[in-house]
Amino acid sequence: MSNPRQSIFNNSWIELAARWILGLTFIYASLHKILAPADFAKIIYGYGLFPEIFINLIAVIIPFLELVTGFALIIGLYPRSAAITINGLLLAFIVALTTNLIRGHEFDCGCFSAGQSGYSSSPKVTIARDIIYFMLGLHVILFNGVRKISIKRTSP
Amino acid sequence: MVFGKTIKEIITLAGISVTLAMVVNYISPKGIALVGQWDTSKGVITASPTGPEEWQPEEINRVARAKEIFDKGNVLFVDARSPDNYEDGHISGAESLPVGQFDEQIESFLNRHSPDTPIVTYCSGRTCEDSHNLARFLSDVGFTHVSVFIDGFPGWEAQGFPIE
Repeated sequence: MSNPRQSIFNNSWIELAARWILGLTFIYASLHKILAPADFAKIIYGYGLFPEIFINLIAVIIPFLELVTGFALIIGLYPRSAAITINGLLLAFIVALTTNLIRGHEFDCGCFSAGQSGYSSSPKVTIARDIIYFMLGLHVILFNGVRKISIKRTSP
Repeated sequence: MVFGKTIKEIITLAGISVTLAMVVNYISPKGIALVGQWDTSKGVITASPTGPEEWQPEEINRVARAKEIFDKGNVLFVDARSPDNYEDGHISGAESLPVGQFDEQIESFLNRHSPDTPIVTYCSGRTCEDSHNLARFLSDVGFTHVSVFIDGFPGWEAQGFPIE
């Protein structure tokens, strides 16, 4: 029990905090995308990484994936699978942002809607933030104790 | 076994998400088409919101055509971009009416221009829908001759046409 790695991944308070922070963050992040799918679609277009035919589908589905997995984390429904899905999304965000950072691709449509929707933070800050979320997700995935306030309490 | 169970759970979560997404997108007034128009060579890009057919302004889709209209005079060019963008440079003689400040500014605009004034709106080009939205708002308050110059300020400036 003195193994620090063991105790971190056994600590159900840390697990609860990680799960709720991640869950609330993803629910919150999904809401304004759900309320303005057309604006989100334009942001996806702006990445310049996705085939035109898939842009709208991505814009419609991703926010609900965030909402549902975020909610699943909060109530502890399939917490491990929800965290794996969320980490998959985070990995995709990190790769997309890093790719554009490296190739110096920056898209500014010069529009009102995009400027007002809160996407103005720099890509480096966003990548750093996503890496922290990714680590919270890892904790939920690797946790091997009994989860607090959760439908599914034991791991896996 | 754990692996298979995880896959099943992920598919369940994804299934719920996709179903919910499709249903909400279908019934929401903000819902979008499942395939958008993202090819700038075909015009202004848009996720093409579904819903009742909205009034569509006439589009001026060649810069040279916009210049002809400009040269004829008697047409008011209206800049839909932010005040900062307008200050940095705009089509000569254009008036600023930022689409984000429409409600605050429309009254004084109406005091200065009669509804039958021919108007051409523009913004930042084909990746920007603000000029279309502005044209719709102007039409809603009674302007009868509104069209949109879709290549906007970048297209105009690139041709070396008059700016100030």
